[in-house]
Amino acid sequence: MLELMQGPLLISILAAMVRIATPLLFSAMGELVTQRAGIWNISVEGTMLLGAVVAYVVASTTGSPWLALLVAVLACALISLIMSFVTIVLKAEQFVAGLALNLLASGLTLFWFQTYVIGREPPKFAGFEQVDIPFLSDIPILGPVLFSQRALTYVSFLLPPLVWFFLYRTRYGLEVRCVGENPKALDVKGLGVGRRQCLAIMFGSLMSGLGGAFLMLGYSDRFVPDLIAGRGWLVVVAIIAGNWMPFRIVGAIFIFALLEAVGIHAQVVGVAIPHHVFLVLPYVASLALLAGLRSRTHQPVALGIPYSRE
Amino acid sequence: MENLLSVQNLTKRFGPVTANDGVNLEVRKGEIHCLFGENGAGKSTLSSCLYGYYRADSGVIRFKGEVAELNSPADALRLGIGMVHQHFVLVSNFTVLENIIVGSAGTGLFLTKSDARRKISELCESCGLSIDLDREIWELSVGEQQWVEILKALYFGAELLILDEPTAVLTPQQSDQLFRILDGMRMRGLSIILISHKLREVMQSDRVTILRKGRAIATVETSETTAEAITALMVGHKVSKHVRDRSVEPAGEVLAVDRACAIGEWGEDILKDVSFNIGRHEILGLAGVAGNGQKELFETLMGVRALSSGGFSLEGEAITKPTSREMLDRGIGFVPDDRSLEGLIPEFGAAENLILGWQRAREYCRGPFLDRRKMDALARRKIEEFKVVTASADLPVERLSGGNAQRIILAREFLHSRGLLLANQPTRGLDVAASEFVYEKILEKRAAGFAVLLASEELDDLLRLCDRIAVIFKGRIMGIVRPEETTLLELGMMMAGDAKDVQRTVQ
Amino acid sequence: MISIQRRSGSSLRWNVVCFSAAILCAFLSSAALLALSGGDAVKGFSALFTGAFGSQNALFGSLAKATPLLLVGLGTVIAFRAKIWNIGQEGQVLAGAMMAYWASLMVGSLPYWVALTVIALAGLLGGGILGLLAGYLKTRFGTNEVISTVMLNYIVIFFLAYLLDGGPWMETGVTVAYHQSPPVNPSLEWPDLFARGAGKLHIGFLFALAASAFCAILIDRTSLGYDIRAFGSNPTALRFRGTNVRRLLLVVMLLSGALAGLAGAGELFGTAHRLRAETLLGIGSSGIVVAMVGGLRPSGVMLAALFFGALKSGAIYMRLQSGTPAGLVSAMEGLVLLFFLCAVVATKFQIVRSNVHA
Repeated sequence: MLELMQGPLLISILAAMVRIATPLLFSAMGELVTQRAGIWNISVEGTMLLGAVVAYVVASTTGSPWLALLVAVLACALISLIMSFVTIVLKAEQFVAGLALNLLASGLTLFWFQTYVIGREPPKFAGFEQVDIPFLSDIPILGPVLFSQRALTYVSFLLPPLVWFFLYRTRYGLEVRCVGENPKALDVKGLGVGRRQCLAIMFGSLMSGLGGAFLMLGYSDRFVPDLIAGRGWLVVVAIIAGNWMPFRIVGAIFIFALLEAVGIHAQVVGVAIPHHVFLVLPYVASLALLAGLRSRTHQPVALGIPYSRE
Repeated sequence: MENLLSVQNLTKRFGPVTANDGVNLEVRKGEIHCLFGENGAGKSTLSSCLYGYYRADSGVIRFKGEVAELNSPADALRLGIGMVHQHFVLVSNFTVLENIIVGSAGTGLFLTKSDARRKISELCESCGLSIDLDREIWELSVGEQQWVEILKALYFGAELLILDEPTAVLTPQQSDQLFRILDGMRMRGLSIILISHKLREVMQSDRVTILRKGRAIATVETSETTAEAITALMVGHKVSKHVRDRSVEPAGEVLAVDRACAIGEWGEDILKDVSFNIGRHEILGLAGVAGNGQKELFETLMGVRALSSGGFSLEGEAITKPTSREMLDRGIGFVPDDRSLEGLIPEFGAAENLILGWQRAREYCRGPFLDRRKMDALARRKIEEFKVVTASADLPVERLSGGNAQRIILAREFLHSRGLLLANQPTRGLDVAASEFVYEKILEKRAAGFAVLLASEELDDLLRLCDRIAVIFKGRIMGIVRPEETTLLELGMMMAGDAKDVQRTVQ
Repeated sequence: MISIQRRSGSSLRWNVVCFSAAILCAFLSSAALLALSGGDAVKGFSALFTGAFGSQNALFGSLAKATPLLLVGLGTVIAFRAKIWNIGQEGQVLAGAMMAYWASLMVGSLPYWVALTVIALAGLLGGGILGLLAGYLKTRFGTNEVISTVMLNYIVIFFLAYLLDGGPWMETGVTVAYHQSPPVNPSLEWPDLFARGAGKLHIGFLFALAASAFCAILIDRTSLGYDIRAFGSNPTALRFRGTNVRRLLLVVMLLSGALAGLAGAGELFGTAHRLRAETLLGIGSSGIVVAMVGGLRPSGVMLAALFFGALKSGAIYMRLQSGTPAGLVSAMEGLVLLFFLCAVVATKFQIVRSNVHA
């Protein structure tokens, strides 16, 4: 293991960690806002998948990754209306609605994949390019790790502070947290609970779509049905393990990302351990994190409880 | 005096139930107007309509002489109608300030707390309230939480304040303080609608409107009437109030609690050196403001909460590490205060709820199977005996009224208990007739030799039913007194923890 | 004025309307999918139907496909009725198959029926242990079972991948590595119910029928079933009334996982005859759909399992006939589930026409 820790390899691992963390950060910050509004939305996995599919379709037909990103985000925002309708209007069990959405997403994807992708010439399209930030990228170690990434990665750095600021320092953030803690407190002041939850779901969904689209466009030009491979669930784990606090969630995400990065490099370097061990690490780690970090003090009190007046 | 609010012919239905039936109400500027009636008489529904939370099916509401379209609480707030709910609507991990300003009609993206802080401070000063705006709600006492609720309404510029059963959670002294605050607000020209079913409070208002079965029966000047006249109007017919039979003397010792202590989630004392005993033919009352350890005391006695030290014995036998199973098997009956959460399975019908806790007992089973025939027979018997109004024994109890749900719990507990009955707030939310039914049944058990622990917020009821009354404050027993040797004032002081002079314990 | 209100009872007519609408919506949207993908919807669906019910063979095929769905669905019902959200069926199916395979490597010398019993029990045990593990994480650490069961799915999938790809169970001596085990000992295959040639319907189908009866009785007529339903409605009251809810949770997870595990063992020894991830993946999620569409009632689950089993079976024929990919069935599962979910909620409401006198 010693050689793993040496210069270029270490930098490569850390850079991989940062890029692996990017889509997770997008999804997690979106899902955090959703959950803080009291919606136990477990459809992150499915939404990320839909984002990736839409991004692939648009990118392979138009060739423009940015347009693909935009359409994917819009599509996921639109899809979120299903979740909103089922949970806020019909007041169905939120877990069941999320599960249904996940199954729908994977089913539709499989059908689409078998119809359009499998057995055909893979389309050529350009994903996102690496953007080196002048000067900063020349700093040893930190430069290649943090400042030679895709443009969206830089955006993802800004996201946790922005979400924190939104939740704790703006009027709307206070209202969102209020909806998650005690929706009636807002309702008795005549402010719509459903509308705020709907918007929170939409935000979460479009950020998950963004994460999925980035996963597709950032580093690969091929689509596989298990592209998301549980990352949406890791996001939910990160939120619970991070006790619904933005920066702790970032911490949990970087643990997952680091494990995956190490796994990738272990395969390349060729360690005498079956590579499956490395692949499974993030999932084992997620159970360990949940068992270890049991503080739920910032869990929204009304999380998962449909709100109705009577 | 001019009318601030006038309601004409207001009707509100919930499905087949008519909660308000052609109600008329007039509230003057600068008066405390009491809405008086039993539980279920339609007081809360009426106030929710005035506050825009429910939309009335028909009727006209005028505020300051103009017809008010109240489609949401926002409309009411804009007009100047504020509400203080019986169950506080606060976010417990927000600060006082955040609770007051959340959802306020401020502009701009950012939270600007300084202006709000100044405005609230001024409000506090003018009402004579003193409260730290940066403490979180869970750190506050119940009385202080109520102030936050009042401040919330005033912050929106309320001219009419509706208070729903505001003293249910207060000691008599705290109630007096509240009334002083309300009096001050009245002097400043605010109008107050006070919803209550306690006579003591009604008599402190200017006028009272009496509701019965959804109808406004009468509005009278308080100074021109008597408590008896109001009660007669409220109930409509005479209800005989039960008192304990003094010819039966308590004897022996069924339950003895010895220095019981329990510690809460954050290491705080929930119960501290609680000691008392109850004999056969005895009802021990437990008085106290909600949240002072009553619930936890019942939970430890039922084996669902662990003691940190001390213990208790039953029929002379020490109980160590009790489980709820063991306590049920030992024949303890338990009526929990939150019946829908702790006493019933809402999706089950009466038949299945009647055997909750006994679903593996030989009486109702054949091997691993439930014996439906025996369950149904039991349900038929008990529904008749306890006069439960239900369409069938399988109708989910979540569809039953509170009184009928409580009857099912009583039927179950009376059937399976032997010797000790624990009843925490058994009449909460019940009307007078239903309450008296519950008390009648409890007194029957006393006559049969049971020991009964009865916690209630209705001190008058404790005084007429109990052989002795223990007062609990912050998890400590402040003293145990005989009803004939105490006064409301003394009980109130003990409930507030101010018991230096009166602390005593009678055996 | 027309308003929508929560209804106090349930009305059979309204239920029929709601669920018919749900099925109609699901089929229309599936047809739209088919059309969008360039297929002929009528041709596709008729091929689907022929493939599912067109002959005795097709019917047996449908029942065979329904078998694991029924078992998984029943396991899901037990958990979901208690509102314990076990969604680790994928992993539990795999674990059952793996445990059964492992057992089969050791029971070759036993008499046939004994060996068969041991293998079936091993399947139950494998899935059960995995369910129990998630239950333990919940009772010991308070880990949300939704998360833990999903994570265990991935862990089991990677474990199987290791076993079949470089691990001890990899098929060796073949030129192309398929990531599968060698075939199971032919003498240990589960017997077919009918003479060969009349379609393949193995004994697992009988197990599934027996399990249906078991679940129906368990839930409605036993003390344990009472506990399960009560736990789903109000676990606090159940705890206050003398039931050890931790133990109950473990029992529910054990039973739920065990039924999924049996499904895995049945697929392995009844139809696939070699351990291979592709043949087992998807059964778990389909089983969840079956349970929910079946209204979490064993009788409903039987119908739903037959329906989706027929779809899966017919899809193979449909692909041959019209080139429509079998993935259509997965998409349909999602659509049916979503519309059923809406229909279930709709049955609880009624449309009321009322005259308002102002």
